[in-house]
Amino acid sequence: MQIIKYILKRILQAIPLLIIVSLISFFIIRLSPVDPLAELRLNPSVSQETLQKETERLGLDKPIIVQYAKWAKSFLKGDLGITSNGERVSTKLKERIPNTLLLTTIVILLTWLVGVPLGIAAALHWKSPLDRLLTVLTSIGMAIPSFFFAVLLLIFAVKTGWFPIGGLTSSDFLEKSLLGQILDIAHHLILPVTVLFTLSLAGLQRQMRANLLDVLDSDYVKFARAKGLSEFDVVYKHALRNAINPMITLLGFEFAGLLSGAALTEYVFQYPGLGRLILEAVMRSDINLVMASLMMGAIMLILGNLIADILLIITDPRIRRSDV
Amino acid sequence: MKKAGYVVLVVILAAIFLHSCVNIDRPQPQVKQSSGITEEETVDYPSQRNVTIDGEDFRQSLAPIGKFGGSLVASTIGEGPKTFNPFNSKDNISSMLSEVMYDGLLGTHPITGQPIPKLAKSFSVDGNDYLINLRRGVKWSDGRPITADDVVFTWQNIIFDGYGNTSTRDSIIVDGKLPTVTKIDDYTVKFTTPKPFAPFIRMLSTPIAPKHIFEPAVKKGKEYFDTFLSTNTPPSQFVTSGAFRLKEYVPAQRVVFERNPNYYVINKADQKLPYLDKLVYLIVGDINNEVLKFEGGELDVIGLQGANVARFKEKEKHSDFKVYNLGPNTGTMFLSMNLNTRKNDKGEFYVSPKKQRWFQDKNFRQAVDYAIDRKNMVFNIANGLGAPLYTAESLNSIFLNKDLKSYPRDLDKANDLLAKSGFYRNKKGKLFDKYNNPVEFDLYTNAGNTEREAIGVMVKQDLEDLGMKVNFKPVEFNTLVNKLVNTYDWDMVIMGLTGSPLEPNGGKNVWMSDGTLHMFNQRPAGYSKDDRFDWEKKLDELFIKGALATDFEARKKYYDEYQKIAYDEKPFIYIYSPIVISAIRTKFKNLYPSMLGGLTHNIEEIYIDKNNK
Repeated sequence: MQIIKYILKRILQAIPLLIIVSLISFFIIRLSPVDPLAELRLNPSVSQETLQKETERLGLDKPIIVQYAKWAKSFLKGDLGITSNGERVSTKLKERIPNTLLLTTIVILLTWLVGVPLGIAAALHWKSPLDRLLTVLTSIGMAIPSFFFAVLLLIFAVKTGWFPIGGLTSSDFLEKSLLGQILDIAHHLILPVTVLFTLSLAGLQRQMRANLLDVLDSDYVKFARAKGLSEFDVVYKHALRNAINPMITLLGFEFAGLLSGAALTEYVFQYPGLGRLILEAVMRSDINLVMASLMMGAIMLILGNLIADILLIITDPRIRRSDV
Repeated sequence: MKKAGYVVLVVILAAIFLHSCVNIDRPQPQVKQSSGITEEETVDYPSQRNVTIDGEDFRQSLAPIGKFGGSLVASTIGEGPKTFNPFNSKDNISSMLSEVMYDGLLGTHPITGQPIPKLAKSFSVDGNDYLINLRRGVKWSDGRPITADDVVFTWQNIIFDGYGNTSTRDSIIVDGKLPTVTKIDDYTVKFTTPKPFAPFIRMLSTPIAPKHIFEPAVKKGKEYFDTFLSTNTPPSQFVTSGAFRLKEYVPAQRVVFERNPNYYVINKADQKLPYLDKLVYLIVGDINNEVLKFEGGELDVIGLQGANVARFKEKEKHSDFKVYNLGPNTGTMFLSMNLNTRKNDKGEFYVSPKKQRWFQDKNFRQAVDYAIDRKNMVFNIANGLGAPLYTAESLNSIFLNKDLKSYPRDLDKANDLLAKSGFYRNKKGKLFDKYNNPVEFDLYTNAGNTEREAIGVMVKQDLEDLGMKVNFKPVEFNTLVNKLVNTYDWDMVIMGLTGSPLEPNGGKNVWMSDGTLHMFNQRPAGYSKDDRFDWEKKLDELFIKGALATDFEARKKYYDEYQKIAYDEKPFIYIYSPIVISAIRTKFKNLYPSMLGGLTHNIEEIYIDKNNK
């Protein structure tokens, strides 16, 4: 019961936040000197009437506050509007969301499955050669700009011919068997996943290591050891459970990054995901599309934090007892 | 939220970074590439002809007989198509892709540029009347015959009634009236324009829609039509008349076309073309990725730019592709001065009176023209891949006035012209007008276009040799457009426009005094006072006459004269046209590259020779 009340409270708090976010984004986009019709204006074969019609269709002839009200009204109704090319924003997003989800989910799963154990291993073998090696490797991972790394891998793909140069499927995808199709997608995913994995692995592994080291150094662990508990019990029953809490908060942020985290890599690898779509929309000042993606990002972030907090309540009895 | 914004920012920065890298990587000022790429390839294209077999009117290819099968992978840069409805497309990529699927009544001869019959078997023009005979036995991809009903429906119910993108309709209105279209019999159609109107014949290349597919959509109204045959439509619903039909569209990845078994072009052995099973367009985000894809073997054909040309030419010898020079394109790059003498609402001049005196002075404009070093710009900015330009029509235009000669940079002549108008230089070499005002003005172009920015820097240097002080200000594209078409507060600008190599009438928006892009002397919409220069009046007259005359030779005379006026008066000082360079794998045969049609204009005749090395 208390949890439900807490959730409701958090949702209510999110509403003004969303309104402010939408207002700021809308005005910044609209007040920037990007004219969505500039290209058309300079095309000798476009008539004045066509320009007029386009202006009306995009609502550019109305004051900005009216434009915002119109957008907000249809947004509340669940209608994301149409892009500047006349396609539905929702269909555009639907085309891309699965692709981005596929990429980010694989990356998040991989990093957590590899990063957490590596962090634990490094903490348990603190200052051992293994720990040092991992520290060096993760430093490299954090230091390489993802953009640069992605370009390097692309050049690698061109030179060796081992990997496709960007994209998600080959041009003869339709003719392949189901297994062939799965392999084809996997083949295309290897490079982008490598880039994103290297990058986020470093952060996660270091976080896990630091948390566990902190906990291992605390009094109750020393007490447990003094009491004569087996090392296994000390680490995996007591220390780990306490060390994992900050990771859950991190997981909340990862959730928010599900849809927006990979734009840079998507762009370099020509991956048909949301990131590329939104970048192109920003360049064109395609307001409905940009707004939809910004709102989606904001909602995902709020939702991610909420989920993390709820998970924390479940895992950490100390929070449960204090004022929820 | 913050994160998304940050990511976008980083991507933009990264894109800019990559962009500038590419430029830095360009070879420094160099002599013309001595790689044999400077001359255009000339070809002897065996034109297609009409043949009738068992009552069916085919068009027969006279190119060597090839082998069936295989696919050609090309690419488009950007976001990919917005629609597959040829009547809705507003952007080049959508139009190009829908033209793959839908043929028009007429087409363009890839070498001569004259109209040739496509879906039409033959055509004749008599003043206002255009009589079109259709091919018997030609079918849509679903097997239904293509008849006069489809043609009349397309023109009357879609185009004249204003469905979809109305630019075709807008461009054929003469004196407020539309042409008419009438069905004579099942295979004969007559178009009548209200007055003789030459550009109309080019409009007959507009795709023809299958009535049985489009009619229900038209009945549902214009709003529905705007979403009809969008990119979300299942490929099986497309009924086409072109060489290919849609097979698959994967957003942000590719468009796949498969061969239309009912296409009306046959080879010398009377087999139905096209040879290729599939035509694939990959949707790539930028030029760099496109080049990588070509080098990685995922692309078969690519347009090349800048430093890549020299690199590809070098690799060509031991690779499986050949580089073709297709000649200058329709793009024109020019420098323009603001000839505006009007005042704004507040009673202030758009251009300050002292600057007006300079820009209005023909000697001044010609001096600027002589001071521009076009050749130097071609070598240093376009890597030698450009052709100096002196005429208003592009170099591949069939209306190009070949009497207008090119001339080299001539500073003495420029100085003489300035002296004639009373300009003088002080001891430090600075230029003053006869009222002792130092000659100083702003030069704009759009920031981010590295080519124009480079031209700006060189123009500034060239004009400083005349003692002028030029403040070069690249501004954001939208800001620049706003200056040109709304606020008119600019002195000099570097811009580019693309025109049609076939129809100069498309330039009337630029050259006629009431045009919306008459930027060198832009008048606000609805401006009624006649303050045209004499040569502007003459241009107006020539463009009206040029559109009314239907005979090519007669028209050419009018358009020659307009080019002569532009050449003498210098409202635009043309700089150069880029040269189009493309590379294609050598396994493709029956290639007849042409300046007008490019590499793949005869896509149905191109085939793959697997044994080729």
